[in-house]
Amino acid sequence: MHAKKLSPLLAVVMGLALAVTLFPVFWIVMTAVKPPIDWNASPAIWIPSDPTHINFMTLFDPDAIRAYGVGGVSQSATKAVWGSVRASIIATALSVGIGLFSAIGITRYGNGSKLAPLIILSGRMFPPAAIAVPFVIIFSNVGLIDSYAGLIAIYTAATLPFSTWMLKSFVEDLPREVEEAAMIDGRSRLMAHLTVTIPLIRGGIFATTLFIFILNWSEFMFSLVLSYTNISTIPVQLARYVTATAGTLYGVQAALAVLAMVPLMLMGYLIQSHLARGMTFGAIKQ
Amino acid sequence: MAENTMQATASGRPPGGLSRGAVVRLLTLPGTLVSLVVLVTPLLVALYMSFTDWSPTRSSFFDASFVGFDNYSELTIYDTRFLYAVLRTLCIAAVCLGLEFVIGLGLAVLFLREFRGKSLLFSAFLSPMMILPVVVGYTFWMLFQSNGPINQIVELCFGPGSSPEWFRSAPLAVLAVVITEVWHWTPLFFLILLSGLNAVPENPVRAAVILGASPRQVFWRVVMPMLKPVIVVAFVIRTMEIIKLFDEVYMLTRGGPGSATETISLYIYKLAFNDFQLAYGAAAAFLVLLGCLLLIHLLLSPVRDQLLKGGR
Repeated sequence: MHAKKLSPLLAVVMGLALAVTLFPVFWIVMTAVKPPIDWNASPAIWIPSDPTHINFMTLFDPDAIRAYGVGGVSQSATKAVWGSVRASIIATALSVGIGLFSAIGITRYGNGSKLAPLIILSGRMFPPAAIAVPFVIIFSNVGLIDSYAGLIAIYTAATLPFSTWMLKSFVEDLPREVEEAAMIDGRSRLMAHLTVTIPLIRGGIFATTLFIFILNWSEFMFSLVLSYTNISTIPVQLARYVTATAGTLYGVQAALAVLAMVPLMLMGYLIQSHLARGMTFGAIKQ
Repeated sequence: MAENTMQATASGRPPGGLSRGAVVRLLTLPGTLVSLVVLVTPLLVALYMSFTDWSPTRSSFFDASFVGFDNYSELTIYDTRFLYAVLRTLCIAAVCLGLEFVIGLGLAVLFLREFRGKSLLFSAFLSPMMILPVVVGYTFWMLFQSNGPINQIVELCFGPGSSPEWFRSAPLAVLAVVITEVWHWTPLFFLILLSGLNAVPENPVRAAVILGASPRQVFWRVVMPMLKPVIVVAFVIRTMEIIKLFDEVYMLTRGGPGSATETISLYIYKLAFNDFQLAYGAAAAFLVLLGCLLLIHLLLSPVRDQLLKGGR
């Protein structure tokens, strides 16, 4: 491959676009390492002369920042981080597991496959604000409000359309003949799916798992309305910091934002070649 | 057709296994059950609720009295805040989609050629869409502060004192929301359009070139028509997401100043969880759902057949 340089004009266009794309990322990372005196300096400081990790310490030890003569943060982020980790992992496992079964069922036995895509798609259409209202009522009545079980149930259901749809496109790509061969060899129908279909699409399952994890990890509104004192997630914690401190704790908030952002960016890069397919419900074949 | 192949080769019941029907049930039951219990039930509760006057501050849920279509008529005739939220969301959607499509297409076309560092740049350009909406909202809230970097650049370009207070003026606050959305989601258009462009078969393009078509004609007459389903899907996905727009605006402006940046989702959220008008909020949500279904139906209709074939 003989890759050439871009013409100067295109290089400038590309460079500008790149700067605009990366600047907010640069800003949040820089803010996360600013010492308190630089947080809200006027004019704003682009690159701190004295970078520090105190903001990250403060997240888990609310008083760490007192050494700088700044009031402590009211709440440690430990619970929120574990809450996010726990709810996202369990819900992702459930969503992908159930979605995998549904995907095989729909693709191989085709019940309702004519309409299923649109029904699945419509699961994504409903504004979360609307569905959050009945959830609060139902969950208060069955004791699931402010509990991880309730949160996980919603996460699972909300991402199920995506996991089913994305996995379905991977199952479709797999020729039926490989399963049939296994059945002729004497394996039962179910065992053929478990021992042949699933291992053969493991790349797709991996991509789907990361994709669903990204969705769960980013989810905000449901955790906002369902969490009171028992449970918390990173997005809710971030919003609470902003509310409680009227934005005076820039550095600490930015540190939490970076902590929330890094795993997703890593996962995103790992599955970037599958993203278009996942998000367009398989309309693009690669 | 394909089912028959499977049945013929596997001759009904493979040895020692469950029957075909049992396997199908086992595979599809969990998904159906979750969807029914966790999605359909709340929707039915919300639908029922939207015809009552229930609010948690007034009575138990089971004592709510039936008010027929009162909530709906109130919303569509008298509630200007709701109507403005709908219009505002649609305007934001139109502007954002237009900008995201044009910028995304431009970038995608640039990426059709080979150049040094392409794969690294590709990853870099995708970065924004891999960041949580809440973090994006918070980051742009910092960037748009009156002493923030965006205003520093504005002052650099237009002289001291020219920088605005983004969150104190209604049009500027809406502009801030639009800029944030465009930054966050242009990469999605870029990704989808680039994947689509790469999937365009080469033969028709070659044929057109041989027949003497100019590059411009090839692009608009040959490539774009083949790209149509992909473009429609990208628009549908983004439209749905903008109608649900909440996280970024919540972090950026909380709907302010006043209700200048209230989107539909933010308005419904405030109705339900700040003002505790849950029944009224549910009615608003159902109106939005009906609107969404209609919109999606219209947007998808030209490419529905291609999509239902599973994209094959």
